[in-house]
Amino acid sequence: MRIVITGMGAISSLGYDVNSFVTGIMTGQVGFSPIEQIPEIKNLRVKIAAEIPDYDETAHFSKKELALFDRFTQFQLLSAREAISDAQLDFTPSLSERTCVIMGSGIGGQSTQEQNYKKIYHEGGKRLPPLTVPKLIPNAASSHVTMEFGITGPAFTIASACASSAHSLAQSCMMLRSGLVDVAITGGSEACITYGTVKGWEALRVTSKTTCRPFSKDRSGLILGEGSGTIVLETLEHAQSRGAHIYAEVIGFGMSSDAGNIVQPSSDGAARAIQAALKDAKLNIEDVQYINAHGTGTPQNDPSETAAIRKVFGDYADQLAVSSTKSMHGHALGAAAALETIAVVAALEQQIAPPTMNYSEVDPKCDLDYVVNKPRPMPINIALNNSFAFGGLNAVTAFKRFSETSESV
Amino acid sequence: MSDQTQKSSQEIILEILCKYIDEEVDHAQVLPEASFEALGIDSMDVVEIIFDLEETFDIEIPDPNEIEGMDENFSTVQDLLNIVNTLID
Repeated sequence: MRIVITGMGAISSLGYDVNSFVTGIMTGQVGFSPIEQIPEIKNLRVKIAAEIPDYDETAHFSKKELALFDRFTQFQLLSAREAISDAQLDFTPSLSERTCVIMGSGIGGQSTQEQNYKKIYHEGGKRLPPLTVPKLIPNAASSHVTMEFGITGPAFTIASACASSAHSLAQSCMMLRSGLVDVAITGGSEACITYGTVKGWEALRVTSKTTCRPFSKDRSGLILGEGSGTIVLETLEHAQSRGAHIYAEVIGFGMSSDAGNIVQPSSDGAARAIQAALKDAKLNIEDVQYINAHGTGTPQNDPSETAAIRKVFGDYADQLAVSSTKSMHGHALGAAAALETIAVVAALEQQIAPPTMNYSEVDPKCDLDYVVNKPRPMPINIALNNSFAFGGLNAVTAFKRFSETSESV
Repeated sequence: MSDQTQKSSQEIILEILCKYIDEEVDHAQVLPEASFEALGIDSMDVVEIIFDLEETFDIEIPDPNEIEGMDENFSTVQDLLNIVNTLID
């Protein structure tokens, strides 16, 4: 069965829609700035992040909705509105039953949790708003998407930290392949720029105080990002029957767990996920031209990911273009893979590999072709997206430039 | 905290380190010249040790990669002692 992408939506530090996201990554725009939403910023060592610029929630949602929508739910709804309108889907009762909503989030409603718990632990508050729990649950974003669009098929949220929305996309493909649904609304959302979360990341000592320089010798860590991406998937048959515009084809996925360490990545685990994706998509290593790397810019990830790519692709690894768009949109955790899927689709459509920005110095441990500092026009027929999470949970997805006559895979 | 004033900062730091070494490693081997690797201390342990030291001495320890010349060579107990000693002086 062939599965195709027929709609996309994005909100990120590069802007409020897919167009601004794609223009941003294809022109090397780095979306990092001093954190605006944490009043306690003076107590932070890490003072920059990839925040949504000038975000005003009241411009998008009513007062009544805002009592129900945590920031991560708001972002998911904004990207879902764009994706579903882009796909021009009309949820008739029969279609809505045959559609699933599977989103990813690493944390869920963190700001709701922090703001409310601060009231009772710290400020002597005696009670919390009645909607505190339904607002903070990680499935709130998926649920509100079902409610806004009247989608009545299977719906849930997947939490696998930085790989959440890659696992969501894989799960959505399984739903489509199994015949349970004809359409899948998938993606992820994260609103993790909160005092408690940033403090937690600071303590782990994997966040940079300056910028994100994936694969560069002087890299100093990741830059936390927020945002959301939504992808509309359909069976080819369904998409063609309604004359939908097709952006690209999802040809496979691979998943693995390191069964190693909760934070140290394993190149073996990552390599097994890449191999599984190639096998599922029935690809030879020489079929792949571009990899959107996990590329967090931490001392640990980048050499480990490089070793994993070398392990799978051998000498052919030198022919691959590999880049990390996290150098521009930051690491949006549970939304990362959804945003990066849009980056991959743009690469396939425009035949341009987006760059790894802020690269300054060769690291002997990271010796692939990282498309440094400027985009590269090149033929791209097949591309992979790598996602490797804390907890050693890996998911790799494979995409192909759409052609009506593609061999069925 | 009277305990802390009687002990030298080095003794306190070494005691903290002893919480993170491999079970098979003898505490007597926790000496300034010992490498983290020989003690079974991995990079995540170092992050936890740094947190413990920050809480104990009420100091802010920068990331090793922010200290000139430290990134490549941050591998022994002495490297850690040097950083902490400059901060608690």
